Amino acid sequence: MDPSVLTTLKILLIGQSGVGKSCLLYRFTDDTFNVDNAVTIGVDFKMRKITVDNNNIKLALWDTAGQERFRTLTPNYYRDGQGAVLVYDVSNRDSFTCLETWINELNMYSTKPNIIKMVVGNKIDQERRVSREEGIAFARRHQTLFIETSAKTKEGVHMAFEELVRKIINTPSLWEKPEDVNVVRCNNENSAPEQSYCSC
Amino acid sequence: MMDVEDVLNDVVSMDDLKKFENEYHKQLATGTVSQETKFHYAWCLVRSNYPADIRKGLILMEQLIKHEANDDDAKRNYLYYLALGNSRIKEYSTALQFIKAFLHMQPENMQAQNLLNTIQKKMEADAHKGMAVAGGLALGISAIVGIGFALAKSMKK
Repeated sequence: MDPSVLTTLKILLIGQSGVGKSCLLYRFTDDTFNVDNAVTIGVDFKMRKITVDNNNIKLALWDTAGQERFRTLTPNYYRDGQGAVLVYDVSNRDSFTCLETWINELNMYSTKPNIIKMVVGNKIDQERRVSREEGIAFARRHQTLFIETSAKTKEGVHMAFEELVRKIINTPSLWEKPEDVNVVRCNNENSAPEQSYCSC
Repeated sequence: MMDVEDVLNDVVSMDDLKKFENEYHKQLATGTVSQETKFHYAWCLVRSNYPADIRKGLILMEQLIKHEANDDDAKRNYLYYLALGNSRIKEYSTALQFIKAFLHMQPENMQAQNLLNTIQKKMEADAHKGMAVAGGLALGISAIVGIGFALAKSMKK
């Protein structure tokens, strides 16, 4: 691997069909936006490098299909995920209500108990059916990060991924290889508190 | 997991493959396999590490697209995985045909464009490898010819 890259992180995009997961992904990776982008087939994958606090990090982004016909197929991808972006559409109340199901599914299938979760309210360029306060309350209840975005206008998109990555990097137990963990633990004792983040 | 570079490196877990395989065979024994079960099993197979599995998955996907593609969505799904499976066994030109058929139905689809780019990159890398081999061969031959000339010269002396 490129020595200048600190680590590669596996990030998942999860949420109901049509909330804009793929639009967020392609806005972030290619800076493109496609209004009539079709439903995702099974799962899509993109790689992107990002620099956070002077650390070069590679992101392996897994965009899962929200559609019912793929429901039994996608949870397998949650395995080994270090970060999860749970997306709802602020103009679609239903997509917010069912976020609870998605987060439960994530907790059930994810193999890393301290996986960092971020709730993202997308489509803030459209008429709202879910207030910012409700989003914040949900995120607080589930101990996740929270941000509102618009893949269409770019607002918040880059910041969302940056925040998520920062939080993962600040949780070394999520990404350091076992041999490195020992080294870090010897030199620096502050890797312990992050364990308390677990929300399952 | 860490060295995943593109969607072609996405490998099915053995648990999933077993699970959907069992379902498929259970239904097969009753005489009728539902479209969904067949698709799930084929979807696992084309993402297997074993080329024999992938080929089996491609046969199932072809049956699905021929006989059970009742709507455009289903058809797109099968085309996508036919392209993916074929690229995973390095049948790039066949893969290209399937992904182009998909993009003919829906030119703007970014996921399909992403797969198309991946396939094209792989083809290019393969072509370079081929050129390197051919180049190496040419170098080898010229070296032998060179030695031959040198030998002939020294023998003349």
